[in-house]
Amino acid sequence: MKQQTLDSLPDGHATPVSTFTAFRATLRRDLLIALKRRNDLLNPLMFFLIVVSLFPLGVSSDPQELTRIAAGTVWVSALLASMLSLDNLYRADYEDGSLEQLLLSPQPLYFLVLAKNIGHWLVSGLPVVLLSPLLAYMLYLPADAYWTLVFTLLLGTPVLSLFGSIGVALTVGLGSRGLILAVIVLPLTVPVLIIGAKAVADVSLGLPLAMHYSLLGALLALSLSLAPLASAAALKISVN
Amino acid sequence: MWQWFYRMGSPKWFYEMSGKWLPWLYVLMTVLMSVGIVWALLFVPQDYQQGNTIRIMYVHVPVASISLACFPLMAVAGVITLVWKMKLADMVAKCAAPIGAWFTAVALATGAIWGQPIWGTWWAWDARLTSMLIQFFLLIGVIALRSAIESPDDSARASALLAIVGAINVPIIKYSVEWWNTLHQPASNFSMDNESAFGPEIWVPLVIMIFAVYCFFVISLILSTRNEILRRERRAQWVQDIVAGEKV
Repeated sequence: MKQQTLDSLPDGHATPVSTFTAFRATLRRDLLIALKRRNDLLNPLMFFLIVVSLFPLGVSSDPQELTRIAAGTVWVSALLASMLSLDNLYRADYEDGSLEQLLLSPQPLYFLVLAKNIGHWLVSGLPVVLLSPLLAYMLYLPADAYWTLVFTLLLGTPVLSLFGSIGVALTVGLGSRGLILAVIVLPLTVPVLIIGAKAVADVSLGLPLAMHYSLLGALLALSLSLAPLASAAALKISVN
Repeated sequence: MWQWFYRMGSPKWFYEMSGKWLPWLYVLMTVLMSVGIVWALLFVPQDYQQGNTIRIMYVHVPVASISLACFPLMAVAGVITLVWKMKLADMVAKCAAPIGAWFTAVALATGAIWGQPIWGTWWAWDARLTSMLIQFFLLIGVIALRSAIESPDDSARASALLAIVGAINVPIIKYSVEWWNTLHQPASNFSMDNESAFGPEIWVPLVIMIFAVYCFFVISLILSTRNEILRRERRAQWVQDIVAGEKV
């Protein structure tokens, strides 16, 4: 149906855009915008760094104590950093009206939302993953747990972006949304936190990790397939 | 079938029908509650390990089991709201959230009171306690989202969506937390054998209490939904007629 209406448009609009092209264009646009705003790119990372360094100050500088809490600290800080960067996801687009254009486009909203979520993860989640070994070193995480930390974060932070996207989409039209976003999204992220932090803790005990990875992978698969649908529905509710 | 479904969605129909159900529910709840409480407090034998402390089970278990029913209820109401745009479903969902949050809070509180003498601590990061706490947070999130969005239509659809997402997440949270840590005693299996630790003389009053608390939940939900109906339909003629009738 949509294909037909597009074809029947006047000249210049006659070529329908394929879903994949639209996906790539959305992703490219979001990455370009992020590159143009260096501060937005840097802030979540600085926040991550600062929160992690608060723990030795607040708890203890004792290496043994820090080793025990290292996994949880890095994971909780990554969770909070991803939460803080979420606001960028749809807000500017909502304010300048490009979100409405996105909703009006004939391509399935699922893929466009997915492109935006992947873009968000690339600029806010991936840097956190890459920075995590440094912070793990500062917290005396045992050397054999480094790769586990990086891999679990690599599997887990996209889930945080995808879940968070639902919350942002629901609250994008509200005036003050910082706290309500956290209240809505944080409880949803509990499974990721539990599995990720436990994997890092378990590797130091020499336990097998296949189950942890499969569970995180399952969560990622589930949220990749369902969360953008919920985000798309939420955007349609928020923008009307 | 569909006609019945749509008629049920009319707030006026629900208001009139629920007015007829309420007296029966009151009677049923009073009977069940008094039988259940007297039986549980006076006639159930002491537990050989837990002594009289076991009696708090007769409040804790019903409240906890009903608080678990809340998210599925809100999710079903949410689907009806999103698909059929039925106002009544949204009113029920709106009223179920705070009631569910209260039931969850009471389950946590009675659990703490039970846990203190048995485990020696008011709070433990045990699987069921933790997943109850997270469920409480999720319900608070739904309530917060609803009150943050001003337009009633948008807030109905937004909280319906969040309730559905939450309902999908509740089992995932439950299993991940269980996998993480377990201290809570496993739920006891019902047994017909009186010699068993969980024989009929223990569980029959428990079943009565579960039904009694269910009645209480349904009554609270109906009463608060009726209030919501009156508030939202206050400009409708039939509501004005009721108000005029009460003034006379």
